[in-house]
Amino acid sequence: MIEVDHAHKSFGKVHAVRGVSFSVPKGSVVGVLGPNGAGKSTTIRMITGTVPPTRGSVRVDGLDSIDQSLKVRRRLGYLPESNPLYPEMRVADFLAFRARLFGLLGKARKAGVDRAISRCWLDDVRSRRVGQLSKGYRQRVGLAAAMLHDPPVLILDEPTSGLDPAQIAETRQLIRELAGDHTMLIVSHILPEVEKSCDRLLIFARGRIQADGSADDLLRDLAQRQGFAVEVKAANGDPKTSMQAIAHIEQVESDPNGRSGDGWHALRVIVDKAAADPGAVIGGACRELGLTVRSLRPATATLEALYIRLVEQADKATAKVSEQRKPEGEAA
Amino acid sequence: MGATLTVAWREYASFFRSSIGWLVIALYLFLSGLWFAYDSITPGQPASMRALFSVSQWLLLIVAPAISMRLLSEELRSGTIEPLMTAPISDWHIVIGKYLAALAFLITMLLPTLVHVGVIELLASPDYGPILAGYLGLVFVGACYLAVGLFFSSLTRNQIVAFLSTLFFFMLLVFISSPNVAALVDEPFRSLLFGLSINLRIADFAKGVFDTSHAAFFLAFVVLFVVLSVVGVESRRWR
Repeated sequence: MIEVDHAHKSFGKVHAVRGVSFSVPKGSVVGVLGPNGAGKSTTIRMITGTVPPTRGSVRVDGLDSIDQSLKVRRRLGYLPESNPLYPEMRVADFLAFRARLFGLLGKARKAGVDRAISRCWLDDVRSRRVGQLSKGYRQRVGLAAAMLHDPPVLILDEPTSGLDPAQIAETRQLIRELAGDHTMLIVSHILPEVEKSCDRLLIFARGRIQADGSADDLLRDLAQRQGFAVEVKAANGDPKTSMQAIAHIEQVESDPNGRSGDGWHALRVIVDKAAADPGAVIGGACRELGLTVRSLRPATATLEALYIRLVEQADKATAKVSEQRKPEGEAA
Repeated sequence: MGATLTVAWREYASFFRSSIGWLVIALYLFLSGLWFAYDSITPGQPASMRALFSVSQWLLLIVAPAISMRLLSEELRSGTIEPLMTAPISDWHIVIGKYLAALAFLITMLLPTLVHVGVIELLASPDYGPILAGYLGLVFVGACYLAVGLFFSSLTRNQIVAFLSTLFFFMLLVFISSPNVAALVDEPFRSLLFGLSINLRIADFAKGVFDTSHAAFFLAFVVLFVVLSVVGVESRRWR
């Protein structure tokens, strides 16, 4: 439904998005994560057609987001990040205005507005001015405006920002309801939110996609990469070097978070992907080396840890590149 | 057409939902009414609206930019331009809709001054030809001010900047096309500067002369700046 192909966007010398590619099949719900300035919003704007890519292309339902922009916009429901609204308008008037812009006339408009009002729990405030509403209600008005014309694709930028926990739960429920027959992109900072509502995650940092997969796959991958936290005591020698020699053990390093001392070594052990049961490999290695084991557990893999790790990696990679470039710049 | 009218209607209604709309109408009617009472309702004066028209031309120089300054600047400042630009309507719909709303508001503001025509009718027997031409002239000059105001408001998110730029633009135009300044340059530039003079053209209307070349000038002026406003909005997509 959405195909982003090597989309690149630079504003002057700033490269906001660096050749991003992904596709979203019909009916799937994709979460877009990343720190501020990672290129999420620019990517979203390339999909909605407000920012044309410098290179590459974006297609929605097979239509080019720039050349066939009006057709693409008809298929999109979009809730922008800051959720800009006209404060002087009444809720129902505002929604009717948006419906008219999308070409809904007469009965279709009334039906669309009524449906959006009831789905987003706005019945109590339909004749209130938008400027007098709480942030939670304003957010719902934005959501209602995005789904008025029942578009096949919904792009929601921070849909639950400013909502209280009960409203967040309701909004999540609404997203789940809509998920069935809509293709959705949900941009968020709130990790549990996307973990719960999305089939797939895209993690952005420094203008690139750093990870792409379901939350479960990404976490399994991370768990593999983070390995096991082990606490062992050796009769003689350094267990770190001796363990390194065992088959399937890829990497052994001291674990700064573990309890070392008194002859105990806290280690972080990473087993290669070929091993079917990494825990058994480590246990076997300890037995073989005659090590006393106090604890052995997989390092906890959370979405938060994954997110921080990916963002840090991207930052390091960028720092490296700029360091390498520095001498050239000085020479010039 | 539907989308243009949708944008126009929302904008027109929003003038009356904000204090600025009522303030502009009140100030204009107060000052033009004062001038009319002082200058026209005097024994021995001809039964005409010329005093009102000549002062309105100057009042509009302040009032019209105050109407137009928010048209696009406010959308840019509050970010509401983004939902508008992601709706399936072209930038032409947005810009022309905004312009029509401002023009309709200006005409709404002028309508109550018809009371003055009634006052003259009560006191004497006015000649309606010049009155009609005078109103037409006011609408034309207001349309020019609004088109330039719309253009400047497409370039900035700051309403004050849009207001002052418009005011400065017309001050400069009045200055370079004034007889004393235009006389400093040789032909054909002198004729060109005179040709740009809004004051000379509006003076003809105030005298009751309807000249199609003046109408064509105002129309071309408006079209030029509406097109430039579309370019201003469109350029945001490419920045």
